[in-house]
Amino acid sequence: MVNVNPLKRAFTVFKDESKLDINYVPPRLPHRDKELNFLKQLFKFAIERPGYMTQRVLITGKIGTGKTVLSQRFGIDICAEAEKRKINLKYVHVNCRECKGSLFLILSKVMGSLHPNFPKRGFSAEELLEMLLEALDSENVYLILTLDELESLIWKEGSDPIYNLTRVQESRLGKPQRLSLICILRDEFVLAKLDASTRSTLQRNIIRLKEYSKEQLFDILADRVELAFKKGAVPQETLDFIAELSAMEGGDARYAIELLWRAGKYADLHSSPQVLPEHVREAAVRIYPTVRKDALANLSLHEKLLLLAVARIFKNCDEASVSMGDLELEYAVVCEEFGEKPRGHTQIWKYVKSLSRLGVIKAFVSLAGTKGRTTMISLHKIPASELEKEILSILGVKIEN
Amino acid sequence: MKIEEIFSSKGRIKILLVLLKSGELNISEISRRTGLNYATVNRHLKILEDAGLVVHRRFGRIRLYQIDKSDKRVQVLEKLISVWK
Repeated sequence: MVNVNPLKRAFTVFKDESKLDINYVPPRLPHRDKELNFLKQLFKFAIERPGYMTQRVLITGKIGTGKTVLSQRFGIDICAEAEKRKINLKYVHVNCRECKGSLFLILSKVMGSLHPNFPKRGFSAEELLEMLLEALDSENVYLILTLDELESLIWKEGSDPIYNLTRVQESRLGKPQRLSLICILRDEFVLAKLDASTRSTLQRNIIRLKEYSKEQLFDILADRVELAFKKGAVPQETLDFIAELSAMEGGDARYAIELLWRAGKYADLHSSPQVLPEHVREAAVRIYPTVRKDALANLSLHEKLLLLAVARIFKNCDEASVSMGDLELEYAVVCEEFGEKPRGHTQIWKYVKSLSRLGVIKAFVSLAGTKGRTTMISLHKIPASELEKEILSILGVKIEN
Repeated sequence: MKIEEIFSSKGRIKILLVLLKSGELNISEISRRTGLNYATVNRHLKILEDAGLVVHRRFGRIRLYQIDKSDKRVQVLEKLISVWK
């Protein structure tokens, strides 16, 4: 019997898969040049007269409209320009959700980028902000800080952190201005939670990114195909098909790129020299726009376990929604399976709220037919079995068919 | 300070090794990594700083210590340690 090592493939359609990675920042951003140039205009002072002023910019747009990649591309470009002019400018991109919406963890990450061994506890967020400015002063560094998924910070800590970050210069009269902010939001309605003065400071410069059209998605995909695939591996009709599907999913470029990558994987699996529309169809049923790998991978372990409990509960019942109580019981079983101590009711409720905000599940308060109020949970946009498979694969559990 | 005085202490050598490996650390972290108590580390750091082998930067309450890489003796010390290993 011949042993075939699946990792040693004789043929692949890919030239460089990493160019389709979620974290890859392409050298060119099709259909975002105008916004990129506007951003550069807004921060022109940072190159021409550093320390003279600071800037606050708000970037808004739906999922997959290029908010993160736009700011990251801008960060790379402006740092390169600053280096040429021997200006000590640093761009730091922090995802507030990964920092659990805590200003302290955000600042700790920023400080860690300047001093990797800076202690991670023992002081308040306000103290840490002062230390950060001291560090910037003593090392003559100018900082552009991007707060991605700002919603998390607003939901968790309200106005104060953003107020402190935007007004920190006011108590430093006469000193160089060092901290500029780029805030990234999905929906502007979250700003209503901020007090009027913080809101007005943030809303001065807004870049609103619209959903990509089918044609724009096609251009984006064509760029990535050139970088990631072998010549001729992705025919135009396949690209057209992916662009059309993604346009129907609300012009989501991230979805389009993930679909392209998965379709490439299916082409490899079938030893096909080309990525065909059939591979795209095969890939499309595996990707649910609301629940994608990156969103699930960023969840904490217990959020994943809770989601697994949701998947299992709906896999085995015909109800449209389940109560918090039932979910907690199933969650306890899942925790036992993974050797974890289950979290308490309040923490579970917080997880449900955060998963609901992410759009993975839907949580609503039910009054009818039950005594008192109870939170009901439903799963709308992804089959329970698919969700279970996805979570188990993220948790590194082998799935038996 | 004479060389035999600097290197007569195991604690000081441990601190130098930790700082050479990790770059920049605060006292608590040096203390954790060397297994010495806070006060001992503080005392040794003062001696090493007076000898010009270590420098510190202060951010609020936090002091971050690092080897003074511009010192020629430190450069030789780094070589010695790399050969020793």
